[in-house]
Amino acid sequence: MILIVNTTADKSVSEALREELKNSAVEAEIVEASEMKISHCIGCNYCWLKTPGECSIKDDYEVILKKMIHAKQLWVISDTALGFLDHKGKNIFDRILPVAMMYLKFVGDQMRHVARYKDKFDIGLIYKGDPDVDYLKRWNERATLNFESKSLGVFSASEIKEAVSCMH
Amino acid sequence: MHALIINGSPRVKKFSNTDKILDKFEAGMAEKGATFTRCEVSDRKQWDDMRKAFGENKNILIAIPLYVENIPGLLIEFLETLTPKNDGTEIAFILQGGFAEGVQLRCGEAYLKILTEKLGCKYAGTLVKGDNFGIRFMDEKTVQKITGAYTDMGREYAECGNFFSEKCAKFTGPEIFPVHVRLLVGIIFKTLAKSGFKKAAKDWGCTKPLNYRPYK
Repeated sequence: MILIVNTTADKSVSEALREELKNSAVEAEIVEASEMKISHCIGCNYCWLKTPGECSIKDDYEVILKKMIHAKQLWVISDTALGFLDHKGKNIFDRILPVAMMYLKFVGDQMRHVARYKDKFDIGLIYKGDPDVDYLKRWNERATLNFESKSLGVFSASEIKEAVSCMH
Repeated sequence: MHALIINGSPRVKKFSNTDKILDKFEAGMAEKGATFTRCEVSDRKQWDDMRKAFGENKNILIAIPLYVENIPGLLIEFLETLTPKNDGTEIAFILQGGFAEGVQLRCGEAYLKILTEKLGCKYAGTLVKGDNFGIRFMDEKTVQKITGAYTDMGREYAECGNFFSEKCAKFTGPEIFPVHVRLLVGIIFKTLAKSGFKKAAKDWGCTKPLNYRPYK
């Protein structure tokens, strides 16, 4: 299953994705997160040390987290600000922490957290606005390392066909 | 010099590692006669005053814990509300994280240059240092030892107004650990660190194993 989380209020991107996905065999679920109550991560570390795997913030993110761990791919549609994802897009990533554990290991020459779940999801980004695209690509490559997955690429909202070609 | 210091951590002040780092850093600044105003992004009630202070100050320091290779979502939310300046204001950053190697913070550091430009300010460097996760869990003496090194960097910032010196670059420590250190630390991860995490969890009232999988 592919999980697509749209953090923007613009549903036309979701509609364009649905249209493109119609002709493929891909099973995808689109979550309209702009209408959900999703807080920022408060860095409490409860998901590692007090309630392992569970976020202490009881809001709509739990719905996304539960779907995420069963997904093969996660795509986040985000507005951008200050050259990067806006805060709503970034919050989706900051709140992913419960999928990792407190335990540490070396992967290659760098420390990583041990994954909580056996199955991993690769991550792609679809952005609106005018970010620093080279940086966004670098960031997604780097962020996915921490989830033992890989970047599926970074696409503008006008590159839906290209993004869908990476969904399988 | 006078600096506006923003603690960019979303964690409440009482438990903020960044806050403890800033306490030490500011002590060094004060020794050199510099003054500062501190504010906390975790307290939304301060945001109006912070916006005003951002407009008025020419030396700004933002201290940031690394969250998923970049700045925390809450800090982005605050920064989105600022009006770019274009008046020669300089922004310097303290970037800190849990992983010990310098390389872990470089992607976040790279963004801070982009951010500064987007805010219409001049980049005054980033003080990069990892291995700070344990501050919250350590005894006072150990915390003093870890954070104490930031006092010297506070002196440096008060004198130079930036983090471009060789001294600041060296403060980061190793980019990656040599193989023999990785082997040793790897063993510690599987033994001492694991039992330390379990003890911390027990102290916090955790009743489940740390590898618990609630949704599967």
